[in-house]
Order: sequence, then structure tokens, then C-alpha cells
Amino acid sequence: MTGGAGRWMAVEGGAWALVAALLLTGCAHRDRIVVGSKNFTESDLLGEIVAQQIERRTGLAVARRFHLGGTFVCHQAITAGQIDLYVEYTGTAYTAVLKHAPVADRDSVYHTVARDYAQRFGLAWVKPFGFNNTFAITVRRRDATRDGLRRISDLARVAPRWRAGFGYEFLERADGFRGLAAVYGLRFAAPPIAMDLGLTYRALAEGKVDVIAGNSTDGQIQALDLVVLEDDRHYFPPYEAAPVIRRATLARHEGVGAALDQLAGRISDAEMRRLNALADVEHRDIATVARDWLRSNLP
Amino acid sequence: MSLWGFYSRNAGEVLGLVGQHLSLVASSTVIAIVVGVPGGILLTRRPAWRAPVLGLANLFQTIPSLALFGFLIPLPFIGGIGATTAIVALVVYALLPIVRNTYAGIAGVDPAVREAGRGMGMTDWQLLTQVELPLGLGVILAGVRVATVVSVGTATIAAAIGAGGLGVYIFRGVAVVDDTLILAGALPAALMALAADALFGLAERRFAWRGK
Repeated sequence: MTGGAGRWMAVEGGAWALVAALLLTGCAHRDRIVVGSKNFTESDLLGEIVAQQIERRTGLAVARRFHLGGTFVCHQAITAGQIDLYVEYTGTAYTAVLKHAPVADRDSVYHTVARDYAQRFGLAWVKPFGFNNTFAITVRRRDATRDGLRRISDLARVAPRWRAGFGYEFLERADGFRGLAAVYGLRFAAPPIAMDLGLTYRALAEGKVDVIAGNSTDGQIQALDLVVLEDDRHYFPPYEAAPVIRRATLARHEGVGAALDQLAGRISDAEMRRLNALADVEHRDIATVARDWLRSNLP
Repeated sequence: MSLWGFYSRNAGEVLGLVGQHLSLVASSTVIAIVVGVPGGILLTRRPAWRAPVLGLANLFQTIPSLALFGFLIPLPFIGGIGATTAIVALVVYALLPIVRNTYAGIAGVDPAVREAGRGMGMTDWQLLTQVELPLGLGVILAGVRVATVVSVGTATIAAAIGAGGLGVYIFRGVAVVDDTLILAGALPAALMALAADALFGLAERRFAWRGK
């Protein structure tokens, strides 16, 4: 009778052994660059652009370890040497990794993270891509029109009648919901519903919740006819995306730094939103989107 | 922060989440039994349905839970966000082991025993309730056991759709990489799975002798 359960456990054991083997083979090698990314489209896209740029410009072999489970998994992977680089956001590094209190000044955030990462982790920040992917407090367009909502401060008026649905990271982070609620005086009818970030867009579009916290460069905002409310009290710090790379890797492969520098300042907010929409809304293959972008912008 | 410090400071919340977790597993398993056992019996009476039904249950098993939630959100009655959607997903995942083992338990009854029952003039209903179900009970219970133990683990995904449970600590812990938080959710879930396994092990030993 226990044969069924025993076999199941054996399968599970086998799966774990496979995971362990994959992790081991994922270790950074001397002669190739391992690029990681977080578990959402934009991070995969930027990881792919960075990977192809290194392949094109240096001829080095690049291994991809994409869709890792969020900021901290990537951070632990890069400090442990499992990956050589991944794309991080300045505000996220500033508040969530370095645990500084949120500030709104773009340059001081970048300089602080660059300095602290070099000192504490032996990691270098390359120059940002150029866009700012901030948290986007997002509502349905028809609600925004009906209730005259343009800014987050307008939300305080309707909040007592509304339901909010947020991802776990937004609920937990220092620059997340608690601070937002305090700064804007938001009181919702019930505590926000905690759910998977990717599901919040669908829940909003289907009317199951009334306000969510997405990302300002997400392709779904346009596709689902949603409106992003303006952060009129400048609560959110800047979230400029830039590659973070191990200093040891930069030193060992000269060409890599130069290849990454060519990407600096090349992607605007609108351009990032367009690329995300190509992948998320039109379901284009990420490698193709990255290749086309590189071809037309850095021939 | 140590795990025990965390538990003593958040005892109320922990108990609440354990309660939610238990009720998610219990209600989904009960529904899966109510649907799955008669379903498995039906398959023994309609052999032509066996391949498509088990194939479908197999297919359900392969749908990633987040994708399933995505499909369920827009649906009326069984969808939306919250406990209902989570329970529907858990039932979908629990069906396969229960249906398959019910079918296997009854189909595995010695044909000679079944013939003897028929020879004694038993109706199909009597044959089912007095011969096949008692003899197949051990295998059926083993299916329920697997379904329950797997459910305890799978129910952590309920936290992705606002249904609470111990997954809340795991999701929160992963979001801010706090190992204490992850453990705070994973440890009670693991203990719950072991307890469920032991409990069903006892039940199997109690009933399975009839099959020997």
C-alpha cells in the first residue's frame, strides 16, 4: 500500500538531485560569463540584451540563468559567484538590499549603491540603461474617469470603499505599502489582499480588486486599459535599471565592461514599455526581441 | 530573529494561518473524495471512459498552479480571488491519485471472488458495497493518503491568490529573503504533511487486512 507514496518520494528525491546538479553546473566558470535575471519579463529581456551584447562584442560564451526567484535570490547568487552579473534597480538595491530608508534623489541613490556594493560585496554597478521602472499604483481607466483620479493623493478619497491587491514584495518592502499608506493617508476597507504579483493585473482587469501596485514599464498597463496614478508626493525612490557585475569578472575579461557601457542611457521609459509589451502582450520570443533591439540600436 | 522567537511573538497569526491551511486541505480533500471515489467506481463500470478520464486527470496535474489561478480568476462561482479559487485548484490536483487508486483498488479485486459474489445472487450494488469496496479499501486509502500529503504542500500556493495559509510566510520570506520567515511557513507545513501521512498509515493498516 505504501508503494505509491514511496515511489512518489523517490521521484521527489530524484527531482531534488536534479536541481542540485543544475545548481552545481550553474557555477561561474573562468572562460564564460553567467548572466542571471529575476522572475519577470523585463528582467529576462534586459538579461537577454546584456547576454547577446557580451556575445557579440567579446565573443565570450554566455550562460543564461534566467527567471531566478526575485531580488534576493539574484543577490545571493551573484555574491556566491553562481552568476557573474544581472540587471538590478537602484531603488531596490538601496532600500531592499542595503536597507537604507527610501529617498527620492536619483543621483545620490545611484552613487550610494555603487559605493556600498563595491565595498561590501565586491560588485560593480554599470551605468543605467536610462529608464526608471517605479512602482505604479494602477487603477482601471473607467474608475479613474468616473472618480476623477489622477494622483495617488486622489486615492485617499475613494480608498475606504476600495479593495487593494498587492504582491508580497510590495507589502513587505520598506519602500512598499506601509510607507505609501502613511504618506498618502490611505485607509482601505480591508487590509490589502496579498497575492502573486503577476495575478494582480488580471484581478484588477476582472474587477476583483480596485487598485494594484504594478511596475511603470509593464506592457499590461496599456493592453488592459489601466491608468497609473502620479506619485505627487514623491514617495517612491528612483528605480533605474543597470547591470550589476562581479568586479572579479570585470577584471578578468576586459571587453565586458566596454560592451556593457555601450548600453548606457539607450532605453527610455517608453522604449522599455514597448519592449515589455512585445514580449508580454504580443508574445514575441524574448531572444528575438533582444536581437532586433540590438540590431537597430547598436548595429 | 530565531524561529521560536518569531512564533512566540506572532502566536495568534501563526495559529490563524495553520487553521486556514488545515481548512484548505481538509475541504479540498473532502471534495476530491466525494468526486473522485464515485468517479473511480464509475470507471470500473464504464471501461471505455477510463483512458479519457484518467488522461484528463493527468493533464490537470501538469497545469502549473499560477497558470490555473490565471484561468480561474475570471470564472463565476468557482473563480475570483480567495479561498474558493485555491480550493478548486487543490481539488483539481488531488483528483488523479484518488480516481486512479479507486479504479485500481476495485479493478484489482480477484475475479474469482467477484464471481463467487455473483454466484450468490448479489446485485451490482451489493457486489460493490460488500465485496469490491471493502477489498479495495486499502488501495483507495493509499490514494487519499497521497492526495492529502501532496495537498498539504501544494496548499502553500494558496497564498498567491489571497487565500492565506502557511504559504503566506513562505511568499513573504522569499520576497525579502528572510530564512526565518520561510521556515516559519515551511516547518509547520512539513510537520502537517508527516502527521497526515502517519494518520492515514494507521488507517490503512486498520483496513487493509481485509484485502489479504
